[in-house]
Amino acid sequence: MRSLNIAATGMVAQQTNVEVISNNIANMNTTAYNRRRAEFNDLLYQNLKRGGAASSDTGTIVPVGIQLGLGVKTAAVYRITEQGSLVNTNNTFDVAVQGKGYFQILMPSGEISYTRDGSFQINADGLVVTHEGFQVQPGITIPNDAVDVTINSSGEVLVKLDGQVTSSNVGQLQLATFANEAGLESVGNNLFLETPASGAPLQSNPGQPGYGTLLQGFLETSNVNVVAEITDLISAQRAYEMNSKVIKTSDEMMSSANNMK
Amino acid sequence: MDNTSYIALSKQTALVREMAMVANNIANVNTPAYKGEDSLFTQYLVKVQTEDRILTDSLAFTRDLGTMRNMDEGRFQSTGNTLDMAIHGKGYFVVETPDGPQYTRKGHFRLDQDGQLVTNEGRPVLTTDNQPLFFAPNEAKIDISRDGSVSTENGPVGKLRLVQFDNEQDMKKVAHGLFKTDQLPQDVPKPDIQQGMLEGSNVEPVVEITKMIAIHRSYDSVTKMIEEENQRQRKAITALTRITS
Repeated sequence: MRSLNIAATGMVAQQTNVEVISNNIANMNTTAYNRRRAEFNDLLYQNLKRGGAASSDTGTIVPVGIQLGLGVKTAAVYRITEQGSLVNTNNTFDVAVQGKGYFQILMPSGEISYTRDGSFQINADGLVVTHEGFQVQPGITIPNDAVDVTINSSGEVLVKLDGQVTSSNVGQLQLATFANEAGLESVGNNLFLETPASGAPLQSNPGQPGYGTLLQGFLETSNVNVVAEITDLISAQRAYEMNSKVIKTSDEMMSSANNMK
Repeated sequence: MDNTSYIALSKQTALVREMAMVANNIANVNTPAYKGEDSLFTQYLVKVQTEDRILTDSLAFTRDLGTMRNMDEGRFQSTGNTLDMAIHGKGYFVVETPDGPQYTRKGHFRLDQDGQLVTNEGRPVLTTDNQPLFFAPNEAKIDISRDGSVSTENGPVGKLRLVQFDNEQDMKKVAHGLFKTDQLPQDVPKPDIQQGMLEGSNVEPVVEITKMIAIHRSYDSVTKMIEEENQRQRKAITALTRITS
């Protein structure tokens, strides 16, 4: 019976949906988290009777055929790269990106990864690093005797040294953009990797056309909308139930066929 | 011929197919721009061979004639994604595939590595000039106006093509929300595209569940009928054998 398998595809799809939603809710307070959405596609169709087939000798044709669908599948889980709201942390090394662009992070493996989570720290050598201790690229060293660090909107890092009047420039934060941001691969820890689908990164200074600006002392919050997630969760749960109901009904139909005397 | 059982069988076969259709509708209750389907039934009349019947002169078998697609618009869901588009009213986006142009109302698009506007499966979406649409990597703000004109901060890029057909029922579903047809597409005179929205599935869960219950019950009652007919025949045979022996 086709309906059994069809309903099974429906249950699998809704299960994926619930998993994606629960991941969104779990990350509702993760810095710069982009909410995900599961996208569904109908499966291939079986032509039982082709529309347009001849229905008599005089050339009349069947106006509509019988096409039976074979269920649903998860087509993609995609990130919605909407800007999250900015929250003030007053932390010197918290930097939020307003607009497009990712910070570049040097992974221990030598690869470059990308992130919008700008909650940076300073390591023992004075280098600007992420929470995991991975270096921000291009590398910026903050001198030991710096009393004040300013990161302006175009990414220049200015430090005021003890006993000096003017600030000096010690580095420049850069942003990378991609033709297809949604094609980046998530690797956890708020980091992303370049893929063939994302296209090659294009680096530039913040504030250039097409690049966002930086805001010191702020962090980008996740763009998860909890109310929307909960309503989606309810609808996914009901859809799951409905599919299980279809399985039950198909089963009962088969059992009544089996029990014919 | 054992007509009663065969008529009942014709109904049961049709019901199993209808059940598959309902199952597919329910499975796709969250698929964007999915159009629900319903089967059409007709009677298939067969002349009775014997002359000694008073009531009717032909037998009616059940036959499922075809699929009727519900072309109503699904509810709009806001996704907040720049490249999600919902069509209000008539129209289909034109998608280039290796099998020629195909049409879809599912406006969930993305950019590929070249900055080209493509469907989720990577098929280019065409503009009014039948050309794919490209965006430069540094174009951050993509605006789609209601008539389908696409522009970025660097100015207009193109206009998405929306087409309609004389007979929408004649379009065949291909999967992935795509339709194909041999009919000639006509441009929609007044396109209405909503950016950041997706058209939901137009399946009404309550209706489908009710249909499912109805199918289940008629299936049971037909089964019952076959059983009773079977018993009647058995009784007749027993009675006849008793007389002859």
